[in-house]
Amino acid sequence: MSTKRRGAALLAGLLFLAACQQAANIPNVVCAGEATTYVDWVQGDLAIAEPDAIEQPATTDDPADMLAIIRDRGEIVVSTDPNYAPQSFLNPDGSYEGFDIDVANEIAERLGVGIRFETPEWDAITAGSWSERWDISVGSMTVTDDRKGVLAFTRPYYYTPAQMAVATSANIDSLDQLPDELTVTTLPTDAECAQAIQAGRTEFVLWLSSSTTVAGAIAAGAPMEPLGDPVFAEPLSVAIDKSGPPHAELLFEIDRIIGEMHEDGTLTALSEQWFDGLDLTQTASQ
Amino acid sequence: MTVSAQAPRLPSLIEQIEGAQDRARTVFRLKFAGTWALLLGLLIFGLWATGNIDTTFIELWGPFILLGAPITILLSVVSIFFATLLAIVGAIARLSRNAYISGVASLYVSLVRGTPLLVQIAFIYFALPQFGIFIDSIPSGIIALSFNYGAYMTEVFRAGIQAVPRGQREAAASLGMPERLIMRRIVLPQAFRIVIPAIGNDFVAMVKDSALVSVISVQELLWRARQVGTQEFRNFEALLIAAAIYWIMTVVFSFGQERLEKRMARGDR
Repeated sequence: MSTKRRGAALLAGLLFLAACQQAANIPNVVCAGEATTYVDWVQGDLAIAEPDAIEQPATTDDPADMLAIIRDRGEIVVSTDPNYAPQSFLNPDGSYEGFDIDVANEIAERLGVGIRFETPEWDAITAGSWSERWDISVGSMTVTDDRKGVLAFTRPYYYTPAQMAVATSANIDSLDQLPDELTVTTLPTDAECAQAIQAGRTEFVLWLSSSTTVAGAIAAGAPMEPLGDPVFAEPLSVAIDKSGPPHAELLFEIDRIIGEMHEDGTLTALSEQWFDGLDLTQTASQ
Repeated sequence: MTVSAQAPRLPSLIEQIEGAQDRARTVFRLKFAGTWALLLGLLIFGLWATGNIDTTFIELWGPFILLGAPITILLSVVSIFFATLLAIVGAIARLSRNAYISGVASLYVSLVRGTPLLVQIAFIYFALPQFGIFIDSIPSGIIALSFNYGAYMTEVFRAGIQAVPRGQREAAASLGMPERLIMRRIVLPQAFRIVIPAIGNDFVAMVKDSALVSVISVQELLWRARQVGTQEFRNFEALLIAAAIYWIMTVVFSFGQERLEKRMARGDR
């Protein structure tokens, strides 16, 4: 081999090694789920919003409103993403279980209808334009300005702190040890970040997700640990597609039901049941 | 033992030869099956020996994943039926002497064969709603599969029709049969016989292509395997189960196709 060729190969090898070292030593890459607020936080443009105030609808018992349609049908169709323990997950017999599932069941019961779950992809749910394939989303969806453009939100039914987690192999124990400039890499959902780290991927050692998801993944065996206090908290609401049929009454009714569930303690009880005794249904004023 | 048998020993010689051939065939089959058993056994043993396979997971979630198989079969059976209908119409249209009809048919074939099946599935489910056409997930899958396979099978049927000896058509025409009757009574039945192996092949292929329908949230075999695999952090076992079930279905349907071909060939002298 000529000296030029050898030199080039050596240089390439050195650069490659340097890049590897960089990636391993400087933990500035955070994994987050696509289209989540965690991505926004890392990129510095978090835009959590409060849901708009819901006014009394102009009509009552309008047969064209989704509320009447659902009551006629006798069934409400709720979207869920069953890869999100403990909010929603699959059982071996094919049934769904979780905090969101229980909340949805409770809402259906108070509406006086049966319930059926659909399982579209998460970004299909957050993008709106549901094409009437399901009626509402009870999926721990964060209220953001972007989403308010395509979805109508009820008042929050609970809040979730966002928790940074780090792979145990990375030897980092406080948030101060992280560099100021963080970059984000996304996978289709939050849960897949933990699964990727467990599977041995090394492009990132940090994971930002809700504290309940992090706790759930660690309990299920992901080799990670929580890092520091929650970095922010977000309100989570039930959503309805704005581009669907008229839904002012449905929105108002579900919002009212959620208010009821807050007041009579149902939501608190469910939260404590599913989130290790924590009540996450109060305002995020911590 | 004496006498009589000055009769030629030919029959017993033939019997000997046939007996030897039968034995050779049986030996071959035994060796063949033995090789399969050995290789598969080695594979399963190797997997088990890694110690990394969670058999309790397989027992617990196997039934749930397996329940995706009926949906897969349903999708495939219904789609192959409509695809065959489309293919017959398409093939006759392609061979038509009317330029307009022929043009429409070949445009259909070209467009559908020229775009990926996945794109077609996504198009019907995600894109059509923009025009106000809402189709549920399973019907969307069936429509996409039928259209896609219909295009490929159009070409197969066209070849089948053209393979029917021209003499048949000429003889029928000289008897005064109208064109349509010739097609219906003489050409298509024979073309169908020729084309059965290809349809069988396409059906087996479609069983596996139906996995693509998981992207529009149909809870069939692949969707279930991926869902359970990611949820339980056990992707290998889940996908292995799915792959095994697909393979078993393929083997069963291929076997059935072979039997069908043998039965149809019995008519040949």
